[in-house]
Amino acid sequence: MKPGVWQRLDLVARGLLPAFSVFVLLLVNLLPISVPLLSTASPALALMAVFYWSVNRPDLLTAVAAFLLGLIQDLLMGLPLGVSSLVLLLVQTGSASQGRFFHNKPFSVMWWGFALVAIPALLVQWLLSSALIGALLPIKATMISYVLTALLFPIVAWVLARAQNGLLRYV
Amino acid sequence: MAQHGGPQQRIFSPLRTALHRFAFILLILSAFGLMLLGKADTVLIERIRAASADLVSPVMNIVSRPAASINEITDKIYNLANLYEENERLRRENQQLLAWQQAARNLSYENERLRDLASYTSPPALNLVTSRVIADMGGAYAHNVMISAGSRDGVSKGQAVLSDEGLVGRVAEAGYQASRVLLITDINSRVPVVIESSRDRAFLSGDNTNRPLLTFLTADASVAPGDRVLTSGDGGAFPSGIPIGIVSSVSENAVRVSPMFRRHQLEYLRVANYGLHGILSETRIRQSRPADNANSTGLSPEIPVGVGIVPVEPAGNAQ
Repeated sequence: MKPGVWQRLDLVARGLLPAFSVFVLLLVNLLPISVPLLSTASPALALMAVFYWSVNRPDLLTAVAAFLLGLIQDLLMGLPLGVSSLVLLLVQTGSASQGRFFHNKPFSVMWWGFALVAIPALLVQWLLSSALIGALLPIKATMISYVLTALLFPIVAWVLARAQNGLLRYV
Repeated sequence: MAQHGGPQQRIFSPLRTALHRFAFILLILSAFGLMLLGKADTVLIERIRAASADLVSPVMNIVSRPAASINEITDKIYNLANLYEENERLRRENQQLLAWQQAARNLSYENERLRDLASYTSPPALNLVTSRVIADMGGAYAHNVMISAGSRDGVSKGQAVLSDEGLVGRVAEAGYQASRVLLITDINSRVPVVIESSRDRAFLSGDNTNRPLLTFLTADASVAPGDRVLTSGDGGAFPSGIPIGIVSSVSENAVRVSPMFRRHQLEYLRVANYGLHGILSETRIRQSRPADNANSTGLSPEIPVGVGIVPVEPAGNAQ
């Protein structure tokens, strides 16, 4: 049976969901929120989503997509160009190759996995940003950002899991 | 796909992994290429950044409204809880301000008389554009905000951005309908300042903390916590006398300034066009020549004449 045009369009749209969800989380990261702590160090929401999708659906969030999303992040946030691209690319490739390890394991294993992956990811981001800016950025903000990122991962993962179960079951 | 792996599969599978690996290496290399390109800081990158801000600004403009109203609700609850203390504080402040108002009236009258006597030409009119903060960018790595005004509203790169309290930053890139503001706390920000009481000059250098540093302060400068810090107007980037912050701590190797604004409470900002293009526009520096005397530039004499100060319309013998 050959699928019709609409069916194929529907499939394409659903296939774009992972990348789109990362983009939406990027915009959420940009929201001005009047909480004193969040203005100095925000959780890396895009990193969480890239990790989630590369573990669960590496076929739908490819290395190229991670690279482009990193580029968008750098452009929007005024960060040195290329840093987020590299970090998200490495996270995507690394997690996609180890993705099978997390299948059929309780969620806490994935949480631990993410907490481990986020350390080098944020460290590389901090180091490269510092090197490109030409001055050491305060590590404290990065550490707060890491703690927030690790703590908030279950919430983001839950939302993404709902989206995955609802929209990507047959894709 | 793996379950019917015929001879085709056997040939293409290694090819595909090789291709994947090649693509990965190519992407890594292009990431480093982007870093080099960004470091070269070409006009192109700036345009792309401005364009990307323009692209997301309609979405952020709408989405940031509910966020703002949630903030308003939390603010209201906080205000209700602190009503009594706040009222007391305001009463005290009001008394002080009434005294200041009297002083200001006397001074402005005196100032007017003296200006008449000295036939002083007043500085060019200030052009303010008010806009809303629609995004707070960066977090740990950069201190930027996005505002909902761009070249459409007369905003251009290098203009001063003010809150009710004082200087917040400057326009880093201006798109058509949105611009990026580099806060004075950002690590890339340098503002020439003067200590209000001692008139010592220094630079206010951001370091991505909430308390920027005073750098290039002379050894004999007298700075104490509580001193007000104003823009000095050197270099012509900003006019002199805009309040920036208060010296918060003085130690042997660092003097830190607490800015007047709090980043998480920035909501409406004003972009001020003082007609100064200063150190930010290199072509204008080349065109500009030091004027013979301060009055001929049509600017207030507090702004030192020298490198990079260019009035929008050169008056008198400035040509």
